[in-house]
Amino acid sequence: MKPKQNQYPLRYSIYSLIAVVAAMIFFFPIYWAFSTSLRNPLDTFTVSGFGIPFLNFDPTLTNWVDQLATEEARKAVYNSTVIAVFASILALALGIPAAYALARFRFKTISNKDLTIWFLSQRVLPPVATVVPFYLIMQFLNLLDTQLALILINATFVLPFVVVIVRQTFLDLPIELEEAAFMDGARNYGAFLRVALPLAAPAIAATGLIMFAFTWNEFLFAITLSSKEVITIPIHMAGAVDTRGVQFWFMAVRAMIAMIPPVLIALLAQRYIVQGLTLGAVKG
Amino acid sequence: MAEVKLRNIKKSFDEVEVIHGVDLEIKDQEFVVFVGPSGCGKSTLLRMIAGLEDITAGEIYIGDTYVNDLHPADRGAAMVFQSYALYPHMSVRENIGFGLKLNKVPKAEIQRKVAEAAKILKIEELLDRRPGQLSGGQRQRVAIGRTIVREPSVFLFDEPLSNLDAALRVQMRMELEKLHANLKTTMIYVTHDQVEAMTMADRIFILNDGYVEQVGTPLELYRKPANIFVAGFIGSPKMNFLSVKVLQIEGQQITLQLPGEDQMQLQRENINFQAGDILTLGIRPEHFELEQTKGCSLSATVDIIERLGNETYIYANDASDNLLTVVGDGELDVSNNEKIKIYFTTDHCHLFGRDDQSIQ
Repeated sequence: MKPKQNQYPLRYSIYSLIAVVAAMIFFFPIYWAFSTSLRNPLDTFTVSGFGIPFLNFDPTLTNWVDQLATEEARKAVYNSTVIAVFASILALALGIPAAYALARFRFKTISNKDLTIWFLSQRVLPPVATVVPFYLIMQFLNLLDTQLALILINATFVLPFVVVIVRQTFLDLPIELEEAAFMDGARNYGAFLRVALPLAAPAIAATGLIMFAFTWNEFLFAITLSSKEVITIPIHMAGAVDTRGVQFWFMAVRAMIAMIPPVLIALLAQRYIVQGLTLGAVKG
Repeated sequence: MAEVKLRNIKKSFDEVEVIHGVDLEIKDQEFVVFVGPSGCGKSTLLRMIAGLEDITAGEIYIGDTYVNDLHPADRGAAMVFQSYALYPHMSVRENIGFGLKLNKVPKAEIQRKVAEAAKILKIEELLDRRPGQLSGGQRQRVAIGRTIVREPSVFLFDEPLSNLDAALRVQMRMELEKLHANLKTTMIYVTHDQVEAMTMADRIFILNDGYVEQVGTPLELYRKPANIFVAGFIGSPKMNFLSVKVLQIEGQQITLQLPGEDQMQLQRENINFQAGDILTLGIRPEHFELEQTKGCSLSATVDIIERLGNETYIYANDASDNLLTVVGDGELDVSNNEKIKIYFTTDHCHLFGRDDQSIQ
């Protein structure tokens, strides 16, 4: 529905103003990081006003060029991408069938509700409490400082969320659709693969995106289990601190790099999610 | 081509038994309607035949096959759901062809069958649309198309017309009858609407509270309801029920005290009551007469008059303040609060005993 702009001009202006102010508050840190990334190290602390490029200082791409030229930066992007993508895929691959089973089958020894809560309970423990056990496990498996270790651990962490969110999505699908598939000659896996899964796809994509962001931002295990080879972006960002203090110009560039992939994926997925919502109702 | 047999079928949800030992036999090519009020178990019974609901006890046969343990996919039945349950992510063409694709029918064959079904149902120009772009009636046709192409041995319909508007419902009703005449396949149809049951069924199974109350052709049920429930359920407006007192029994001749001063005499063979008992007399509104004086009569006061044009419904209170419904012709000359005499003949009277069963 369109807001009735002409009817309440004053009220509408106030709402708009609030929205603009709120947007500015949220976007300012991002803007500031962007502005800082374009400054000469010398300008970092001396720029006056809002740090508007060209107006308050002469922008330069030196920081970007310097940062992108380093192998550490490229390695961090590569590591984070591989870990986030594969951990999300692994969590979805394991979590979706579990979610479907919890949504559609009735378990007898342990009830579906208890199983679901048990999945979620894995996230009640503070992650830091599991650092030492996981370190020892990875050491035993000879996986310290490998991408595989972080993929496995991140997949373990996001799996409960995948199960809980996707289970709810399957519960919200009208069960008649799968029953119709049975009547059409499909077995359980046919009804799942051809009917339930495509219909849940938008929600699954959104879940995958959130899991990607979780993994992308994970810091604690990345810094504990990796020392040299598998540095991820959050670790790389933290590395912009050296003996002379925080190198804000580099920190800003790294922050921008860290933000780009999740934002891009969010924009792409947003269109997909909207498309999913307009598939059409079942009832007449 | 298949008959359907149910032997002592029971269904419990947790501790609660909702279907209490139903036995029924549906003949090959028969159009059978399960009708009853909501919660009577008719849909559950249909879903058990389909295989979508577990069977607590009893046996179901489709043709000669014992199907209790078969997956719905293996029972050879096709079903139209109340919500249509079209796959929203597939085009109409894919929806109709889905079952064939699952059964690995060659593509050319699928194309041909889908086109044929679309022609029968007049939805050829909709084949490339998505269900979301169709009206209720069109979705209904697609849902039927999906069942036709599978050439099932039994068609199952779960209240398929209840989401349509009145005019479309009448039209689809006729089309379903035509479809049955052309396909000559066993069809089981569930509805709560007695008009649908009366118009379409070869035989009606009336269900109430998980029991089959009566089985018969529409006219058998209308003319000889087995009990008060069936008498009240079949026919619109509903049958009038009066409490009557048995005054005298002479052989097969019974004298009854009607509400007020009036008395009447009836012939019955199975007399399992005595003088002084209170029985129930049932008379359909269309069998009451206001203008021609014949047979027995009742005095009443007109309460409400509804004029439908072709006929008039009169609601009147008798001497014991029972509300009686009378269907008269459209031009009937009556007014509110008028004292009227309602006439009826004994051939149209139904007598029910204290156990609610009909007395023949």
